[in-house]
Amino acid sequence: MDKIRKELLQGTLDLLILKALSTATLHGWDIAKRIALVSKDRLSLKQGSLYPALHRLEGRGWIEAEWGVSDAGRSAKFYKLTSQGRRQLATETEHWLSFASAMTAVLAMEKIS
Amino acid sequence: MISERLRWARTLVRRLFRRGEQEAELDAEMQFHFEQLVAEFQAAGMSHREATAAAHREFGTSDVFREEARDSWRPRAIGDAWQAISFAIRSLRRTPGFSLLAIVTLSLGIGANTAMFSLVNGIVLEPLPYQDSEQLDAIYRVTPQDPRGDASLPEWKQLQKARTGYDAIAGRWYFEASLATPGEPPELVAAMAVTGNFIDTLGVQPMLGRSFRPGENEAGENRVLILSHRVWQARFGGRDDIVGLPLRINGEPHEVVGVMPPSFGDWRLFGWLDLMRPLDVNDPALMDRQDRELRLIGRRAAEVEPIEAAGLLAGFGRDQSETYPDENAAATWQPFSLQDLAAGENGKMVLAMLVGLSGFVVLICCSNLANFLLARTMSRAREFAVRSALGASRAQLLRPLLLESLLLSLAGGLCAIGVANGFADWLQVRSTADNGDQVVIAIDQVVFTWTLGCSVLTALIFSLAPSLFALRLNLNETLKSGGRGATVSRGHQRLRQALIVGQFAMAVVLLTGATLFIRGLDALNTHREGWESDGLVTGSMLLPGGDYPDAESRRQFQERTLVRLENLAGVNSASLARYQPFLNWSQQTSFAVVGQPPAEPGREPAALMNAVSPAYFETVSTRMIAGRSFDERDHAEAPSRIIVSETLARTLFPQDAAIGQSLEWQGSEGASIVAEIIGVAQDVRSIFPEANPVVFQIYQPLAQVPPALTELAVRTAGFDPAALVPEIRTLIQELDPDLPVTQLKTANDRIVRENYQLGVLRDMLSSFAILGLVLASLGIYGVIARLVAQRYNEFGVRIALGAPPREINRLVLVSGLWMVLWGSLLGVLGSLGLAKLLQRGFPNMPHAPLSSMVLSLFVLLVVALVASLWPARRASAIDPCVALRAD
Repeated sequence: MDKIRKELLQGTLDLLILKALSTATLHGWDIAKRIALVSKDRLSLKQGSLYPALHRLEGRGWIEAEWGVSDAGRSAKFYKLTSQGRRQLATETEHWLSFASAMTAVLAMEKIS
Repeated sequence: MISERLRWARTLVRRLFRRGEQEAELDAEMQFHFEQLVAEFQAAGMSHREATAAAHREFGTSDVFREEARDSWRPRAIGDAWQAISFAIRSLRRTPGFSLLAIVTLSLGIGANTAMFSLVNGIVLEPLPYQDSEQLDAIYRVTPQDPRGDASLPEWKQLQKARTGYDAIAGRWYFEASLATPGEPPELVAAMAVTGNFIDTLGVQPMLGRSFRPGENEAGENRVLILSHRVWQARFGGRDDIVGLPLRINGEPHEVVGVMPPSFGDWRLFGWLDLMRPLDVNDPALMDRQDRELRLIGRRAAEVEPIEAAGLLAGFGRDQSETYPDENAAATWQPFSLQDLAAGENGKMVLAMLVGLSGFVVLICCSNLANFLLARTMSRAREFAVRSALGASRAQLLRPLLLESLLLSLAGGLCAIGVANGFADWLQVRSTADNGDQVVIAIDQVVFTWTLGCSVLTALIFSLAPSLFALRLNLNETLKSGGRGATVSRGHQRLRQALIVGQFAMAVVLLTGATLFIRGLDALNTHREGWESDGLVTGSMLLPGGDYPDAESRRQFQERTLVRLENLAGVNSASLARYQPFLNWSQQTSFAVVGQPPAEPGREPAALMNAVSPAYFETVSTRMIAGRSFDERDHAEAPSRIIVSETLARTLFPQDAAIGQSLEWQGSEGASIVAEIIGVAQDVRSIFPEANPVVFQIYQPLAQVPPALTELAVRTAGFDPAALVPEIRTLIQELDPDLPVTQLKTANDRIVRENYQLGVLRDMLSSFAILGLVLASLGIYGVIARLVAQRYNEFGVRIALGAPPREINRLVLVSGLWMVLWGSLLGVLGSLGLAKLLQRGFPNMPHAPLSSMVLSLFVLLVVALVASLWPARRASAIDPCVALRAD
């Protein structure tokens, strides 16, 4: 079960991050928390893998980072969505939904009698 | 949106170059996350140790994530390149002395080359500042006597009607004008009389006022002026109301109608031009077909190829020959690209020579650096061998070497731009004329590109030798020989020696060329042929046509002036003439010998004409060979008499029979003049190194043809001639307060000023020669010193076996001498070629190739000897105990 989840996450981690950041400006810890909370812990991932992904997205210009102070009073790097990232989120969400609905339709296939 | 993009770009740049910062940030980020996890698990009741272990499980392997993040910061290739560059910088910083020396050497070498190229760029490559300047041609009437012949006004009119392939053909001639504004002393200015379409043909609009109008090419209407930007600024302070201002030109009232933009008076084409006025195209005095003074410029129609235009012009020339066979028998009409003419033929050759010689300086630099770098590489032979043994590919092996070279030469190139800039400033100061005009050379993009190319090429050249060494390294031997890395094969030794031989040969050529030119130049500056300039004061005067309308008034003024000048204290003799003997005479006439069969049409003999007052020959020290000089018998109404030059007399009248013969030519008003030869004077040659195709000279009495523009000359009685200058100026002012006298200074000062371009050339060549000499001696020293270091043990053994220090000295010196001798031999061959080239370019310049060569060889040999003496002394002082123990 664990293994399947991980494979599933590989392609969708970017989408998850973008979605999480579309709600607020967050640092890495918050992003992990939020994904875990909303998915009711069903999408667990190695939390460290967030960081290469964040850096990759920053390099593409979809998110940008700024150093700030966390709620706990420590300095942390906050990420926020750029307008380019917002567009990317829209396209990827659409892709995902159409993929999911296609999958659902196929899985709902009934036995030919 | 824009600022978002900018922030993104900043992030990317930071990722490329601030690696440490990026790492630290990533660590801080992940550390924070990790601590949060630990805190959470502890809050859930775990011990610190359990919580840390759980956090590790939850977080994953941070090293893997770190590596993944790094890859996203920058592509691998760029990372590697950056690493290689910083490695090369570190390696260069380990030997700061070598790096600094290399950069200084390179910046001087490439700097000299860049400066010379900036000259070529500014003079030859930079397009003339006119619209579609590649369509502009100069049109010449070419004859055997004059390959750059002008046209007459009637011929210009016929050209306008003929089918020539040109949209417009305009003409101009230069004249000296006295420019006077009310209440200020008049000034002699360089003026141009132009056909009405002149400015439009060049495609330039005046920046103020208007161009000339069609009707202004006629008598009465042509008293309008267009000023140059410089005159407007310098003389009129850039005043706004310049258009419409009344001025007096040669004593006649004119009106300013426009001012040209600064770019118009390109010094390459017009020299230093002050103002333009339309010429009267219907002036009866200009209707003589033979009076050819109009320089033509044509704008080719866009669709007409140069070759077609040349064909059409040649056709026009044939028509002319058929219609007027007498005067045009040997004449053809030809176009020449105006852009090509901007540099002049001689100019192009000189520039090619300068770029070539500066290239030699660069090559000497290269060979020096190749040697230094080779030595460096040899001492790192073990490092190369180890890397090679560990499986480094050829590219990997050579990359650090090439990169180091490239960094050095790019740093040198950067400094070279500074050198070239300094040169441009220096040239600007050196070329500043009396009227404030100067030659400005821009360091533009083209020059930058050149410098970049030169730097890269230089790097490739001087890293060639060390690369060869590194590639041919014998791994087995090098690794076996232990840490000393001193095994140097004979082949490598020979390579280094060949470099020095080549370098020495180039230094010989450079030094000989420079010596040759500098000595020729000095000879020219001190060269007096047919005149003597010590103790002579000269100046130019222009009698304005308004105040001196006819020959009689000019004659009277000139006579009065002569009397006053001769009576000045300290003056031995004084004269007035149309031309000074040491400058070019521009008036030229074809003539026939009375009593001899007429020459073939178009091949008549031609002579340069001067008009002189009686004391002229005595004043400028031109010796009379036969007959008499002019005197009071040759007054205005007397029969025409002339004095001819020695070569004319000897060529046309064998057996000294010139005196009493007569010559005949067409006078300025069309009347035929027959004049008797009463004397023969020494040939006179100007200070300019270019050969004048016309070698004959004829003198007329000044009183019979009094010119408006006269040159005065005063011979002082043996004291400082400069002291006379203010007195002469006062004297002329007393005679006519409105008369401008220019160039009033000692003849020697004037000669230096007239030849300033050659002076500039001289300075440039001297600096090349010194640079080459210093670099070559440095190279020889370096190689011999290294040679001694390599034979350290051998010398130690020799001394231990009883060789006297003298013997060791000899051994070292001989090894240096061999290279020097071979280099000299090659250098002598090169110098002979260069001498030939100079002879062709400056036929008037005296040449002494042999003594120059001997001189420069001597200097170089002394330098080489001194450079090898130092290492030789060190070799003979080797302590055999130390040398042998070190083995």
